[in-house]
Amino acid sequence: MFDLIIRNIMNRKIRSGLTVCGIALGIFAVIVMGAMSENFHQTFERSMSVTSDKIRVFAESGVFGGGLTDNKVSDVLRVAGVKDAYGILMTTFDEDKMGMTGKQILGIPPEKSSVALYPVELKAGRFLNPGDSYSVVVGSNIKREYKLQIGSKFEIHDKYFTVVGILDYTGSIFDNAVIIPLKTAQDLYKVDNSVSYIFAVPDERVDAEMLSKRIELSVKGTSTLSPGELEVQARQSFMIFSVITISSGLLAAIIGGLCVMNTMLMSVTERTREFGILKAIGAETRDILLLTLGEASCMGFFGGILGILIGTLAVYIMNAWLSNTRIVLFLITPRLLVIAMLFALLIGALSGLYPAYRASKMSPMEALKHA
Amino acid sequence: MPKMEIEREGNKKLDKPERKEDKSVLGHEGQKNIMKVENLSKTYYQGKIPVHALRCACITVRKGELLAIMGPSGSGKSTLLALIGTLEKATDGKVILDGTDLTTVPEKLLPSVRREKIGFIFQHYNLIPTLSALENVELSMRFSRIPKKEREERATALLEELGLGDRLSHKPSELSGGEQQRVSIARALANKPAVILADEPTGEVDSKTRDSIIRVFKELSEKGQTILVVTHDPEVAKECSRLLRITDGVIKDD
Repeated sequence: MFDLIIRNIMNRKIRSGLTVCGIALGIFAVIVMGAMSENFHQTFERSMSVTSDKIRVFAESGVFGGGLTDNKVSDVLRVAGVKDAYGILMTTFDEDKMGMTGKQILGIPPEKSSVALYPVELKAGRFLNPGDSYSVVVGSNIKREYKLQIGSKFEIHDKYFTVVGILDYTGSIFDNAVIIPLKTAQDLYKVDNSVSYIFAVPDERVDAEMLSKRIELSVKGTSTLSPGELEVQARQSFMIFSVITISSGLLAAIIGGLCVMNTMLMSVTERTREFGILKAIGAETRDILLLTLGEASCMGFFGGILGILIGTLAVYIMNAWLSNTRIVLFLITPRLLVIAMLFALLIGALSGLYPAYRASKMSPMEALKHA
Repeated sequence: MPKMEIEREGNKKLDKPERKEDKSVLGHEGQKNIMKVENLSKTYYQGKIPVHALRCACITVRKGELLAIMGPSGSGKSTLLALIGTLEKATDGKVILDGTDLTTVPEKLLPSVRREKIGFIFQHYNLIPTLSALENVELSMRFSRIPKKEREERATALLEELGLGDRLSHKPSELSGGEQQRVSIARALANKPAVILADEPTGEVDSKTRDSIIRVFKELSEKGQTILVVTHDPEVAKECSRLLRITDGVIKDD
């Protein structure tokens, strides 16, 4: 039966080709939008894994509100159940670009740099050490963009820093991080002893959610974000982003599906007499269904393959084009490819359902009378 | 002459033909009875107006008979064939073919009846234009789930027997009218049916081709194949072993 299905598709080359292109365009959109969502998802998951064991302590007025100083670190440390705490100053690397490049300066106490960055590993060099002042550890994207090596000089805010460490690629925000000693960062940006937030590390046997509340109550003028709350917030943002991106892809694919339905309806109408003949010579309802649905599904399949190919190519080209700006927007995962392919098949099959039903329900006599 | 029930109604009685009761059971009257049509009727409705396409038709057909059915256009010839071929549902009556009452066969099983017991030949050949001669003949065997090798062998043998051995891979558009009709005869024969129903098989061919088609029918009939031929052509009817005439949905003459 499969050979008949393929032959029927090939006999209407232009029409079938255009339909396949319609589906391919939809799947192309699914791939591109999905790749954007997958990239966001991966960055999110990896960033979460890096910071998931820590409680964030902010000034009550928020990250940018100020008012959080080094003194608060010792207040946080005094709260029962807090194993460790340290302040971090976070600011954008390209101040004139409003953080659009994603590059961030992280001022971290040198003695805490390996702990703060755990489980990110070094590709070369070392983490910051106590006593470091104009030393810098850079993320993998920064290293590539500025062609840095251990010992290279790196200019930040008109001061030269020596690269002492290069982080391994993580696929997270740390790939675009420039990590310098906290004190140096505070001096560089003239913020005295302010920090953007404090990381509080809970004891192993302490419930992080409970401890988070306890810190908020014990240290005046602070609000906290527990790992659980952070995950919920981040997942919500991720969901909204995913829904927007995936929906636009799906919409395009559904339009492709309507193309298949239109083609199949035309084909069924044109072949009414043929279906009558098939029924007269003994074709079962399921044979007619299989023929018609098979054609629609095959067009979905071919459209899916084509869409995935051009989508992957487009993503590759866009990622290459954006590589100069160090922005990675798209990530194609096996999961995305499987979903796109299944969706193409589903669209094809669903679009073929009604035409197939119509073809299978034709009275053979009426169909034979059809001109 | 084979046994046959004939409606001999005058024009005045056309609206209510007499129902005939034939007590003979297929096969009991002699192994040679292959089909029996009892009081077969078909009424269509045009809006609320009933149109009696066929009225109480009774026919008994012996195995190997070549039966011509003649009548003017719209007389009910094709309807009779469609009802026997299970392409349409009868309003009343029975069609007993090869021991099976086709009018009681559930809708779901009708395709298998069409495959196994009936072969169709149409005026316009009705071949699938995208398939070769061989594939057209194979088609009904595909639906019978016959293995590919066996299908090809049988289809090739049939086409060779009908003189189309060198036309196996030709598409219908590459064949003459006569050749196309022979392909459709081969297709009808593919599943070794109990009866072949031919609706105006010579309607679109020249006299030479018509004669060759009739010759094929006669040869098949001699080998025991039962064939019902609906025709307008007296030359075709003349060559058949029996002739039925239908007028206004009533079988009038034999």
